[in-house]
Amino acid sequence: MPRILDVGCGPTKYPGSIGLDMNASTAADVLCHLDRGGLPFRDNSFDHLRAEHIIEHVADIIATMEEFHRVTKPGGTIFIATPHYTDYSSFRDPTHRWHLNTYSFLYFYPGGMHGRDMWYTKVRMLEKRNYVSLLRLWRAFGFEFLVNHSKMFRQFWEHYLSFLIRGKLMQFTFEVIK
Amino acid sequence: MSALPRILDIGCGRKKYPGSLGLDMSAAGQADVICDWEKILPFRDSSFEQVRLVHIIEEVDNIFRVLAEVHRVAKPGAHVTIITPHYTDHASYCSPAHRWHLSSFSLWFFSDKPAEYDYYAPANFRERRVHVQMLRLWRFLGIEFMVNHFRWYRKFWEYYLSFIFRGKTVEWDLEVIK
Repeated sequence: MPRILDVGCGPTKYPGSIGLDMNASTAADVLCHLDRGGLPFRDNSFDHLRAEHIIEHVADIIATMEEFHRVTKPGGTIFIATPHYTDYSSFRDPTHRWHLNTYSFLYFYPGGMHGRDMWYTKVRMLEKRNYVSLLRLWRAFGFEFLVNHSKMFRQFWEHYLSFLIRGKLMQFTFEVIK
Repeated sequence: MSALPRILDIGCGRKKYPGSLGLDMSAAGQADVICDWEKILPFRDSSFEQVRLVHIIEEVDNIFRVLAEVHRVAKPGAHVTIITPHYTDHASYCSPAHRWHLSSFSLWFFSDKPAEYDYYAPANFRERRVHVQMLRLWRFLGIEFMVNHFRWYRKFWEYYLSFIFRGKTVEWDLEVIK
């Protein structure tokens, strides 16, 4: 059975996973605050790690991704869901520290930032999936399809259109390389 | 023995609210009390009938912790006035001291708080009034009126329109519930 860690599981833990949260009134199995030290697990403990609506809250995204990377096995996957910075939900919660876009995790890809590896972190992962959903109106007009099926349109949208045709939720799946 | 003024102006700066007790981190302004409002407010429980935080909450380290202290020193039923830039205003990004970019729904869950949120935001407030101030052009065209008079329109504006008809400041009048 694959070992799954659900970071910031809240009241609805991912089925079959170990739940981790800082709030004891959730479904968490392990209580831990992401901003106060690392994750309480050995290296390469999990096949799959999930962090839904977590990364926009942490004090240090790089340090948190380093911990996610450390506890995930080589070839394991990390799933991250977070609001796009043009969605109103990015600004609705007064504990959201970071406002991100679909390129925010290029930082961790081999050759991801301007064709070069970032030298500030040792984390390396491959992008398996990068899906951004849009508001209903824009989905009905086919923009969500275009943004997710054409790399060129995605770039055009991020550069030119995203304050008009606003994004909603981003879902990333990364494969851990070590 | 002289009684405390009934109004507390946190972060009063050089323009203390008339008739209030001014509190600031810096002695350069009109503050009567010099203190770091991130830690603890040097007053007894239920001391004030009104607490003002004008252009403060976007700079604090933890909005909920500060509001919990405000809640403690305010009397039951007291007014808490909060003014902060809307996240679509340029002022939200002008100061490198601004940690948070907020919308008119950023304090929504005080009014309709699920039980598990007591962990994050222990104080109880009720939203008496939320007012969004907009740029002159949009006010002239009646958009400010629409946003402030119809909640559904404010929601639609936050989701779809606010990067076009940009907000300026958001003002809350919260009621302290004890």
